[in-house]
Amino acid sequence: MASLSEEVLLVVKKVRQRKQDGTLYLMAERIAWGPEGKDRFTVSHLYADIRCQKISPDGKAKIQLQLILHTGESTTFHFSNESSALKDRDAAKELLQQLLPKFKKKANKELEEKNRMLQEDPVLFQLYKDLVVSQVISADEFWANRLGDMNNSDPTPYNNKQDVGISGAFLADIRPQTDGCNGLRYNLTADIIESIFRTYPAVKQKYGENVPHNLTEKEFWTRFFQSHYFHRDRINTGTQDIFSECAKQDEKGLKSMVVQGVKNPLVDLLSLEDKTLDEGYGVSTTTPSTSNANRTVKESSNAAIIKRFNHHKVPFFFSSETSSTDGNSRDSDFFQPPVKKVRLQEAIEYEDLQRENRLKTVALNLKKSDRYAHGPVPLQSQHYTTSQDIINSVNHIRHEMVNYKPNLTQVLSSTAASSAITALSPGGVLMMTGTQQAINQMIPTEVQGELKHLYAAAGELLRHFWSCFPVNSPFLEEKVMKMKTNLERFQMTKLCPFQEKIQRQYLSTNLTGHLEEMLQTAYSKFHVWQTRRMLRKT
Amino acid sequence: MKLNIDGLLVYFPYDYIYPEQYSYMLELKRTLDAKGHGVLEMPSGTGKTISLLSLIVAYQKAFPLEVTKLIYCSRTVPEIEKVVEELRKLMEFYCKQTGESNNFLALALSSRKNLCIHPEIMHANIVVYSYHYLLDPKIADLVSKELAKKSVVVFDEAHNIDNVCIDSMSVNITRRTLDRCQNNVDTLQNTISKIKETDAAKLKEEYRRLVEGLKEANVARETDVYLANPVLPDEILQEAVPGTIRTAEHFVGFLRRFMEYLKSRLRVHHVVQESTPQFLKDIFEKVCIDRKPLRFCAERLQSLLRTLEIADIADFSAVTLIANFATLVSTYSQGFTIIIEPFEDRTPTIANPVLHFSCMDPSIAIKPVFQRFQSVVITSGTLSPLDIYPRILDFRPVTMASFTMTLARTCLCPLIVGRGNDQVALSSKFETREDFAVIRNYGNLLLEMSAIVPDGIVAFFTSYMYMENIVASWYEQGILENIQRNKLIFIETPDAAETSMALEKYQEACENGRGAILLSVARGKVSEGIDFVHHFGRAVIMFGVPYVYTQSRILKARLEYLRDHFQIRENDFLTFDAMRHAAQCVGRAIRGKTDYGLMIFADKRYARADKRGKLPRWIQEHISDGSLNLTVDEAIQLSKHFLRQMAQPFRQEDQLGLSLLTLEQLESEEVLQKIAKIAHQT
Repeated sequence: MASLSEEVLLVVKKVRQRKQDGTLYLMAERIAWGPEGKDRFTVSHLYADIRCQKISPDGKAKIQLQLILHTGESTTFHFSNESSALKDRDAAKELLQQLLPKFKKKANKELEEKNRMLQEDPVLFQLYKDLVVSQVISADEFWANRLGDMNNSDPTPYNNKQDVGISGAFLADIRPQTDGCNGLRYNLTADIIESIFRTYPAVKQKYGENVPHNLTEKEFWTRFFQSHYFHRDRINTGTQDIFSECAKQDEKGLKSMVVQGVKNPLVDLLSLEDKTLDEGYGVSTTTPSTSNANRTVKESSNAAIIKRFNHHKVPFFFSSETSSTDGNSRDSDFFQPPVKKVRLQEAIEYEDLQRENRLKTVALNLKKSDRYAHGPVPLQSQHYTTSQDIINSVNHIRHEMVNYKPNLTQVLSSTAASSAITALSPGGVLMMTGTQQAINQMIPTEVQGELKHLYAAAGELLRHFWSCFPVNSPFLEEKVMKMKTNLERFQMTKLCPFQEKIQRQYLSTNLTGHLEEMLQTAYSKFHVWQTRRMLRKT
Repeated sequence: MKLNIDGLLVYFPYDYIYPEQYSYMLELKRTLDAKGHGVLEMPSGTGKTISLLSLIVAYQKAFPLEVTKLIYCSRTVPEIEKVVEELRKLMEFYCKQTGESNNFLALALSSRKNLCIHPEIMHANIVVYSYHYLLDPKIADLVSKELAKKSVVVFDEAHNIDNVCIDSMSVNITRRTLDRCQNNVDTLQNTISKIKETDAAKLKEEYRRLVEGLKEANVARETDVYLANPVLPDEILQEAVPGTIRTAEHFVGFLRRFMEYLKSRLRVHHVVQESTPQFLKDIFEKVCIDRKPLRFCAERLQSLLRTLEIADIADFSAVTLIANFATLVSTYSQGFTIIIEPFEDRTPTIANPVLHFSCMDPSIAIKPVFQRFQSVVITSGTLSPLDIYPRILDFRPVTMASFTMTLARTCLCPLIVGRGNDQVALSSKFETREDFAVIRNYGNLLLEMSAIVPDGIVAFFTSYMYMENIVASWYEQGILENIQRNKLIFIETPDAAETSMALEKYQEACENGRGAILLSVARGKVSEGIDFVHHFGRAVIMFGVPYVYTQSRILKARLEYLRDHFQIRENDFLTFDAMRHAAQCVGRAIRGKTDYGLMIFADKRYARADKRGKLPRWIQEHISDGSLNLTVDEAIQLSKHFLRQMAQPFRQEDQLGLSLLTLEQLESEEVLQKIAKIAHQT
């Protein structure tokens, strides 16, 4: 079982699992464990299946590593080599840490995508059930075509993914837990780290500078959570704090933004007042002096907290720059006065005092407006009748009408006419044979539903089948053969039982006629192709 | 539409009208007819400005000899710009209706940069500018003194007008001021000696003019050409400039002596408070400066600066300040107080002496306006209680009315939250200010609100200090982090630029659906000038009653003055002041009938009749007895219910006939009777 072709990245001996000694192997695509003395793995997980790893805290007697799978199951390994247990575990952890994200992203993305498609599209879901779950075709085959389709034909809505902002509560979510002996433990996930980096770019920079050559990752985060920078209300501990610089950088960023000012003139407090009193005039409101010297420690820590709230979200909580709601905000730099005017007009507008609340419409954006104006131009314009022709024919018809005289002797009697009309009206004698309304009345809905599914499934298979033509590559040849067998299998496992069923219920048998016809056409096409191929080969 | 307001044809540039607008115009017309002053309160967002403009413009057109000019004063630049925009709309409507081209000249002054418009102001039919251009004697003298008597003056957003008046008449002198003044005086001295060498005739000419006295100004005032300048009292116009300061050198010497005296006064070690006569007595005893030359100081300095042809007057702001102070202190024996503080209360170790010369009587600055112009209208969304304004501004209005907001659906929901869920009484009063139970309950209120209110919430605190403390405590208790699960948090700071940015980000967060909370301060810039229309403010929470900081000596002096001269009790004034600010804060969220919002008063003291009764009528009438002392949970339940109702579609048809009228409806007898009830006369 232990296929040697796989690349083994790490082997750790003396690892216990379920109280059994054994060896842990980390390979290119999976992690596996085999009991001592046997050459097979009793535990084997693909990296893609693993949701996360957890390790036992330092200082615990047992040194363990736990893997949690997407399914919710978990496996715990206990490193029992007395001398190097910790080292072994960390080596395994580090390696996993590097490997897992690679697989995670890939696996997740695809799974998510498939899941989403199935959820959004009930028809597809039914199709999936009919074809894959009942094993007419394999899941890979089913998706191969689909996903490709999706990526090629309609890429815009998916590739152009909306950026997600950072949850306002992510800081609240990294509440530390006590580890039982007067210490704190922070659980960091890749998402949280990402959020921290996006919120505090200065920290990201520090991370790049210091990890791993100056500090280990763990040390880095420990210092971060101890730092004044993170807490703000704590007193600055001094210069050895590597984050003290970050605060200064932030300050600078904030200042530059403040200098830039705001775009919306109605919220600009600086230009709010027309005239501030000259210096020395006015009732002095004893403005608290802002120089730091005068402020108590408490006051300045309060101010720091406030600053943090105003600042840390300023650039980052709104995902990227496209956050502004009106697409014009970029333009507003160039057209300042109109923006102001629009804002003012909005501010003085009383929509309910106006008569028509005209719907605010979106301007039609035409790339080629002349095409819109003219419509499609016919290719053969010479067939057009001239206006003179039209006038002539109108005159002609008018002339005919003037001279029209009904030939009353040859007309039906009124009774005969009315009976003919009744016969031809819906429900009349002559309309009885029409099957149009009969089909949905005669056949139970359950059968109808089944028929619909059959149509959908057959359509899907046939689509696969026909998409192989023209067969011009070995791959397509193989596929067309396979599709033919699929079609046959479909007919055997799905269509035939259905036919028998409707026969048992004495329903009109030609319900499936059209389906069979479609299949027959496909078969004959296949035969034609096959005979031709044989001919060519011989 | 074209309206008939008590016999006057009024063009109104909309197809419909709110009943209160009609009522407002009726009252306004009555005021103009009587050539008297008026106090009118109408909720914001009910089209006050356009009603004012429509009526007064129509009045001007109908009686061009009775009313020649409209002077429209507002507070902030955006407000002024909005007025201009509305005026433009009205003018366009006139053109369309009458087919005549516009022969109305309107003028907006919105910055000091474009101040030189003297001749134009004379001819404009409408002038729109900031309060200061009319109330601040330093500017009014330049801009407004030639405005015609037959003008109508409107002070919009006038709920703070008394403070503007007081500010424009008060002076603070620090050591720095005196140092700069010293430099100014030195420069003056040098310039004088230089001119003396080159162009002595100029100074002689000035001397001759001063002997003649301020005859020009006197003639002008008697012939009623100018708006009186409160810094230039009547008496001094009849006299010549006293001999002691007539020559330039003497005057500079005089200034030096005065300055040295002030320096000595700043060298105190304890707080001094004295009246203006006491100050004059002291200055006479110490440095033999008489009252009379002091009174001419401001005028004399202007004359000197003109003579010396000094272009940049801004450089001489310090000496101008001192001269203005000299004139004011010697002119008014009442209404002012002098307080010298050697240090700030909070930092008693750091010497930072300040001489506060504070005006305690707002009527001094505004008196010339009331005297000169035939109609002065004071209006705002929050002017309750109405009768206090005529008292503190010392004028006799012919109309006083408060208008309610007619509503087809109750779009405002005032709630008084008096208790936490643990029954702890909520209050920002001094004794419980540091109480953790109160702070926690306040936090809880905000947290729960953040979970149920869509988009934007604005919360106001009573002061920066209080807000900082609460925010720090919330931070320690982890409340803020929990709030952040629901909405982003932004906080006003004393730095205006930083706050502007926070505001913009706040609006952005509301726009893109993320939702946000703005923590702000009553009496701060945000509470005074920023509107939170629609989704920018679905709830306003007022944490505590925003009393002014009562320990300040200036405020104490003012309260005493109010008690002695206007018979207004200290507590009445303080409550009035707190409630007008509270009303301003909560009123920020409702900006029209299609808007809606919660108004949460989080302090049990709001339930008392003396507080509640001072809220504007349009808010008061929606406070039911059941919502006087709610717990946080109860308030949340009521809010949920309210928000759910408000989320239903609201169409124009729902309003028609109730809170929105067509011309036909307006003509029916029944509706007119209803309208008559809207105005609440006092």
